[in-house]
Amino acid sequence: MLFRILKNSFFKRPKAVFLIFLSIAMGAAVATAFLGIAGEISHKMALELRSYGANILIEPATADGGGFLREQDLPKIKTVFWKYNITGFTPYLFGVGEISAGAKRERGVISGTWFNKELSVEGEAPSVQGVKVIAPWWEVNGNWPDAADEAVIGAALAKRLGAVPGSVLGVAVHGRTRRLRVAGVVTTGGYEEEELFAPLATVQELLQRQGKVSRVQVSALTVPMDDFGRKDPASMTKNEYEKWYCTAYVTSVAKNVEEAMAGSRAKPIWQIASAEGALLKKLNGVMLFLTILALGSSATAVSTSLMASMAERSPEIALMKAIGADRFQIGAIFLGETLIISVAGGVTGFLLGDQLAGVISRSVFNSTIASPLWLFPTAIGSALAVAVAGSIVPLRRALLIEPVRVLKG
Amino acid sequence: MTRRRWLVHLIYRALVYRRGRTLLLLSVLAMASSLATALGLVSYSMERRVAEEVRKYGANLVLVPEAAHLDVGSGGLNFGVVSEPSYLRQDQVESALAAGGIKAERSFHLRGALQWKNLDLMVEGVNFADIRRLFPWWQLKGGWPGASEAVVGSDLATRLKIAPGSALELSAPAGPMTLRVSGVVSTGGEEDNLLFLALPELQKALGLPGELSQVRLMVTAGGGALKRDASSLKKLLPAARVSEVRQTARTSEGLLAKVKLLMLLVTVVVLVSAGCSVAGTMSATVLERSKEIGLMKAMGGTRLGVMSIFCGEAAMLGLVGGGAGYILGTAIAQFITETVFSASAEFVPWFAGVSFSVSLFLALAGSLGPMTSVFTLDPVRSLRGE
Repeated sequence: MLFRILKNSFFKRPKAVFLIFLSIAMGAAVATAFLGIAGEISHKMALELRSYGANILIEPATADGGGFLREQDLPKIKTVFWKYNITGFTPYLFGVGEISAGAKRERGVISGTWFNKELSVEGEAPSVQGVKVIAPWWEVNGNWPDAADEAVIGAALAKRLGAVPGSVLGVAVHGRTRRLRVAGVVTTGGYEEEELFAPLATVQELLQRQGKVSRVQVSALTVPMDDFGRKDPASMTKNEYEKWYCTAYVTSVAKNVEEAMAGSRAKPIWQIASAEGALLKKLNGVMLFLTILALGSSATAVSTSLMASMAERSPEIALMKAIGADRFQIGAIFLGETLIISVAGGVTGFLLGDQLAGVISRSVFNSTIASPLWLFPTAIGSALAVAVAGSIVPLRRALLIEPVRVLKG
Repeated sequence: MTRRRWLVHLIYRALVYRRGRTLLLLSVLAMASSLATALGLVSYSMERRVAEEVRKYGANLVLVPEAAHLDVGSGGLNFGVVSEPSYLRQDQVESALAAGGIKAERSFHLRGALQWKNLDLMVEGVNFADIRRLFPWWQLKGGWPGASEAVVGSDLATRLKIAPGSALELSAPAGPMTLRVSGVVSTGGEEDNLLFLALPELQKALGLPGELSQVRLMVTAGGGALKRDASSLKKLLPAARVSEVRQTARTSEGLLAKVKLLMLLVTVVVLVSAGCSVAGTMSATVLERSKEIGLMKAMGGTRLGVMSIFCGEAAMLGLVGGGAGYILGTAIAQFITETVFSASAEFVPWFAGVSFSVSLFLALAGSLGPMTSVFTLDPVRSLRGE
């Protein structure tokens, strides 16, 4: 009997049922879309902020500014505790030499580095490391170096030497010379414009420092610094140290990579790290508030729509009471309807919200998103809870009123 | 009574009679329009707030003398000065900035070398008040310097064993000078290898009054302000090379564009969904008014007359809901901006228009059902109860 009544109530009032269904589905869609993207947005924003460049610098630990690190230690960076946070790294080897192009000659800095190097580390997925990965703001007029004798020259240096892509430069260091072809000219507005960049192996040979690098820049995802993170690790208890080490502060990630490279000292590049921390905190704060706002308004919308529909149906309730139904039977009918509509609405809303989250993620970040598994039951459950909460009050009120008053109009 | 007064009277009585329903509709409309207002205001000010935040990354526009090589002591390398230095005149720079109407934050720098115990120390002259404001990433141990005081970079301090509080006897082209070290700064960048003192003091010590090696500007990101300022500076200061610091400038432009797009999409998604939800609610509420419509038509009400009653009701609800929504939405936006950015949201009066139009649109959309039935309803049938 209950089923027959429920079935009829759906089929006899299609428009009203549809509108309630729409209301619930849309509310659930907003909630799903938001919860689905909230966590991902934070991660994607953090990745976006990595475009500002490296936030950790690894130098030789010797205090006089000389000294070198070992190139063979570099792959170990991909195996440290925080390896999944490290989005890229680049080694540099510096030397000063005479750079000549035709008749002009200049003293300048020659840097050996990786541009776009494929790195395969045993036990880890292959990755690409180099300047192209950690410094996406480099504007190269021409091409990136492909061969061992190609180089990229900074724009200011190029202008003074009259070098263009295709020019051949002579590079002389301590009596050793090498001819390099300019593959591209790089503009950055920074100190790179005064340097000549060539593949690491080429410069190592030129400077007779095979297997050595001067410094390494590392780009890592970190969490914003807080008071705990700012404590001096040397003064921490064992538990505190473990907690610090296992939180991705820029200082602890730096310590971690320092351990990977022998004889090194790693320090955060605070210009990047502190601005990033502050910005991420604020972006996450905004997203959190917007999520609360969206969830709150969708809950309000759904519950008011249930309230409205229940209020409209007081004559029906009064009639049922008048012909002898008791409160539980009436409650069963109406809550049963609410249950069915809200489950259907919740499912539809979830699917819709999932799509919306995907659209937002693709448009803004060009990457896909996978809604977490717990979202499905949560969406349905909350749609149900909100719908029932919305129906309870008017239902109780309607049940308490005398049928005569309602039926009279 | 005139027709118009009747109309208002009818609308008012209709709304008051079903008080519960009216309050429900008002709260729904207020909620929807407050959501629209709050989201709109947050999105609107987001771009500007984030643009202010990214200033913490440092300068995005740099002025150096045209003939200068950037010191090889920059970028954290320490090879000393590779070539003859050249300078910009401070007064020329200041007048160019004023003439170009450039309001960007700026800092002036002078690089040079002073001797200490037969060693060449790279020194930079800065305005410490500017540094405190514009270079928030300086990690300073000790105190900010006063007159005849200096700040030492951490690597330099370790290498030369200089501690805060010690006095440095330096010899400069203008004569010997003594500086007390007030603090040690570490940044992970080139500052770690430099000695900093007040700009005028260094200018005097090097015998270069009013000269600068570099001017760093923080132009507000977004909106093409950078390109504009760069080109006007190029014209006004032919002796300078104006470079965009791509590391900060380009990345900030990209970031701002993404933030803007994200906020836009989020706002659209939430508003469309909330709007559908609310329209559904409203339609469900006003669905069954056929009896009223039938009665009015039977009494001689024209279609236009009945329509105007419904439109009037919707307009009333829309206006009141929109007003309440604007106030609530502004309060929410203000709360969010204060809490997250510690700045107040801009007061944007024309957002009231947005709020009202959202509210009116939803109210009318909700009344669409009864309004269409005005045309199709047969009074006899509805009065009979079908």
